[in-house]
Amino acid sequence: MPTILRAKCIVTGDAGVGKSSICQVFHSDSSHFPKNYTMTVGVELLVKPVNIPDTRDQVELFLYDSAGKDVFSEQVTKFWEHPNLVMVVYDVTNEASFTNCVRWLERVYSVKPDVSLPGVLVANKTDLDQRRVVSPKQGKELALSKGLGYFECSADKVLIQNILGEVPWDVDNLSEKQLELNHQDQIDHGMTNSSTAIL
Amino acid sequence: MLDYASVKEGAQIVLSTSSDENHPPENIIDGLDETFWATTGLYPQEVIIRFKSPINISSVAISCFNVQKIALEGSEQDNSDKFVLLSEQEFDRDDHHKQNEEIRVEGNKQVHCLRLLITSGYDHFVAVYNVKVNGRG
Repeated sequence: MPTILRAKCIVTGDAGVGKSSICQVFHSDSSHFPKNYTMTVGVELLVKPVNIPDTRDQVELFLYDSAGKDVFSEQVTKFWEHPNLVMVVYDVTNEASFTNCVRWLERVYSVKPDVSLPGVLVANKTDLDQRRVVSPKQGKELALSKGLGYFECSADKVLIQNILGEVPWDVDNLSEKQLELNHQDQIDHGMTNSSTAIL
Repeated sequence: MLDYASVKEGAQIVLSTSSDENHPPENIIDGLDETFWATTGLYPQEVIIRFKSPINISSVAISCFNVQKIALEGSEQDNSDKFVLLSEQEFDRDDHHKQNEEIRVEGNKQVHCLRLLITSGYDHFVAVYNVKVNGRG
C-alpha cells in the first residue's frame, strides 16, 4: 500500500503577483487558468495529491493560497500555524514585489521558527519579457541567500508541476529521514551526535 | 502493574488520524518498546484507545518522539464523542532520545475511551512508541 503524507504549503507574496493563478493552474493540472483577477480574501485552501517520482508514495499538498494585500496580513498569518513548506512568489515586472519577498519570508518564519522549513522562491510572469525588471540572477541570489529553491514560471504557459513537484519531494525525504531517526533512536539510546537538522 | 492500554488487556485503537502501514497506531498498545506509531504530516493528530471496560485512570505513561503539546481526554462511554480534558502537557525537546513522560490524572474519572491529542510537535512528524495506563478497573 502506498504511503500518503500530508504537507502544509504556505503560498505567499505581494498582491497580484499570481499566487492564486499558480495554485489554480497546478490544482487543475493546467486545465484552468483564471483569466480575470479576483482578489483573494484571507486564505484559500486547495488540496492536491502529488505522486512522488519513482515511488508509489503520494504527498497530499495542502496549499494555503494567502491574500497578498496588507490589510489581510494579520488575518492570514492566523492560518499559518505548523507549516511544512513555503512558496514565495514575485512578479518579474514588479521590483517592489521582489524586494518584499524578504518581508513575507520573515512573516512565515515568525510563525514557526524552530522547525526546518524547506521552500521555493518563484519568479512569475516570465512571459512578459519586454517588461521584465528583475533578472534571473537577482532571483537566484536571493533564493540562495535564504536557502530556497529558485524557479521561474508563467502561470498561463508553463506547467507548474515542476515547481510544486519538487517541493513534496522534500517532504518525502523529510519523512524518510525522520523515520530513520526514530529507528536509530530505538536501536541506540545513547546516540548523541546524529543531527536532526533535516535538509 | 497492570497496563490497561495494551492488547493483552483487551484495549483497542478505535480511531487515528494517521495510518502508515509500516507504523500503524496499534503499535502504541502492542507492549513493545521498539515499535511506534508515526504521524504522516500536519497537526493536530489524535488517536483514541478504548479499554475493555471503564477504568479509573491514575496516571498515563507515554513514550514518544518530538511531541511538543499533548492533551489527554477521556470519555465515559465506549462510543461517544463527548470527551473531557484530563490533562494538558508540554514536553521538552530532546533531539536524540525518546521522551518518557508520566502524566498524573487527578479526579478519579471513569474513562472508557482515552484520546491522545497531539496539537504540535518539534518536527513535521512525530512518533508514539507506547502508552501505558495505570488505574483501577
